[in-house]
Amino acid sequence: MKRALAAVAASIALLWIVGITSGHPDLLRILASGSIGSTFAIEGTLLKSVPLLLTGLAVVVAFRAGVWNIGGEGQFIAGALAAFIAAPLGVVIAILASMLAGALWASIASLMRVWRNAPEVLTTILLNFIGIELLGYCVNGPLQEEGGRYPESDTVAASLPQLGVLHAGIALAVIAAIAAWWLIYRTKEGLRLRATGFNPSAAHYAGISVNAQIARAMAISGGVAGLAGGIELLGVTHRLFERFAAGYGYSGIAVALLAQLHPLATIAAAAFFGALVTGAGELQRAANISSSVATFGQAIVILLLIMRRKTT
Amino acid sequence: MIELAIIATLPLLLAVEGELIVQRAGMINLGIEGMLLTAALTTVLFGFAGGIAGALLIALLFGFFTIRVGADQIVIGTAINLFALGITGFIYREWNAQIVGVTSNINSTAIAIAAWIVIPIALALMLWRTNFGLRLRACGENPEAVRASGHSVAMLRWSALIIEALLVGTAGAALARTGFAENMSAGRGYIALSIVIFGRWKVKGVLLGSALFGAAAVVQYALQAASRGVQFHLLLAVPYVVTLLILCGIAGRVRAPEALGKS
Repeated sequence: MKRALAAVAASIALLWIVGITSGHPDLLRILASGSIGSTFAIEGTLLKSVPLLLTGLAVVVAFRAGVWNIGGEGQFIAGALAAFIAAPLGVVIAILASMLAGALWASIASLMRVWRNAPEVLTTILLNFIGIELLGYCVNGPLQEEGGRYPESDTVAASLPQLGVLHAGIALAVIAAIAAWWLIYRTKEGLRLRATGFNPSAAHYAGISVNAQIARAMAISGGVAGLAGGIELLGVTHRLFERFAAGYGYSGIAVALLAQLHPLATIAAAAFFGALVTGAGELQRAANISSSVATFGQAIVILLLIMRRKTT
Repeated sequence: MIELAIIATLPLLLAVEGELIVQRAGMINLGIEGMLLTAALTTVLFGFAGGIAGALLIALLFGFFTIRVGADQIVIGTAINLFALGITGFIYREWNAQIVGVTSNINSTAIAIAAWIVIPIALALMLWRTNFGLRLRACGENPEAVRASGHSVAMLRWSALIIEALLVGTAGAALARTGFAENMSAGRGYIALSIVIFGRWKVKGVLLGSALFGAAAVVQYALQAASRGVQFHLLLAVPYVVTLLILCGIAGRVRAPEALGKS
């Protein structure tokens, strides 16, 4: 907890220094007002936090079981595609379909690991690319908008209940975080999952089927990442397009690390990165400072956290 | 057309050769994406030597955290990619006026000959015919044995990283041939990573892999030009599917370096 806060404080200090040295002394002020300075800004931060929270949770669940899921990007896309196709059947079905599709997409990697010993670090990355190309095919082909001119889909047939720009997915994401906490810390399944991640051979001798455990953890992880894609489609973009995933899968790794792999802390970590991304958008509009400082901030947080973990 | 394909594939091929060396030494450098992007920007800013220096800087960052601190390679690789994306985007926008229109002014023909012929031969000889190459590969298979024989795994892995940085720095210069743009590496680093697997960690294999990816890119341009955009996405997915099958041992046998990704 202390470490995470120290890393956040240090990264903010670094951003301030970047601002001063590059001749933008008001960088932090704009960042703050653009992310939490008005109702509009806070709404933007909340919307950005939802996919980050869910992809972060996906990483937390998999890491806790000792598997690498860097396939969040692909699972996010799989979830959104399934939600789009299932949307005519209603929003509830669409949400369920997104989770199922994410789980299946992730399970390709875990099955390959269990059966053929293929490292999931590599297979999940490859599945990301396949997901991106599949989406590219869909929005240029079978799912392209009626006019057939732009590489995007028509408006999705269903959407989440909305309150202004906010949507019910925010509640779903928080519920997912609590459910993940309950799963990991309060159930037998969670105990086995943590044991597998902590020491697979000890878990094996304690009678846990490590392979089955890994497969289940990956499926849950993928399901959560798929849900993120479904919610983003049904609550925010309402359309599919080529760059739909926008790096949320990779940012989820930063979120999970900042949360030190704790599901509830993931809520705070996602809110922080969500604010950073939203504030950076304002930086670009108001002061013509590249919004990529947000990405820079995420990286600094990870590096500082890791430096402290290993050297102390 | 073929000439264009050969030149367009250069950044990818050089990156693949660099990643092959580090993976043989037991490291997965996911940060190669960020390394390539950084090198492209520093080439435009400071010329060819600047590109190499930019790549070395990222190698230093990666090596410090993974070799020195002992942190997880995947986490550090991801962090480096975010870092490079952020900082190059920021600098590009700040110094836009000085950079726009600056190209890397490299001799594409010379680099093409080096990347397709000279470097592969040199790498193959180094990896399979020298003691240094043997030790490097041993770092990827069984670091304990290297330590037991009195050699420093850290030093060997650092040298692999430096070789990678030289190659990726050149790749950055080849990439910035027509100037710099935000996130212009556009996933080439990750693709390089999959080509190393596709090529089964062999020099011949990665050359073939790079050639296939290059050919696929040309076909893509042709299809796009013929406005038959639908199929090319499916076509582009094919190499990744094949790489997956290779990893599963379905399309031939493969064995990854035993200690790959372990510190």
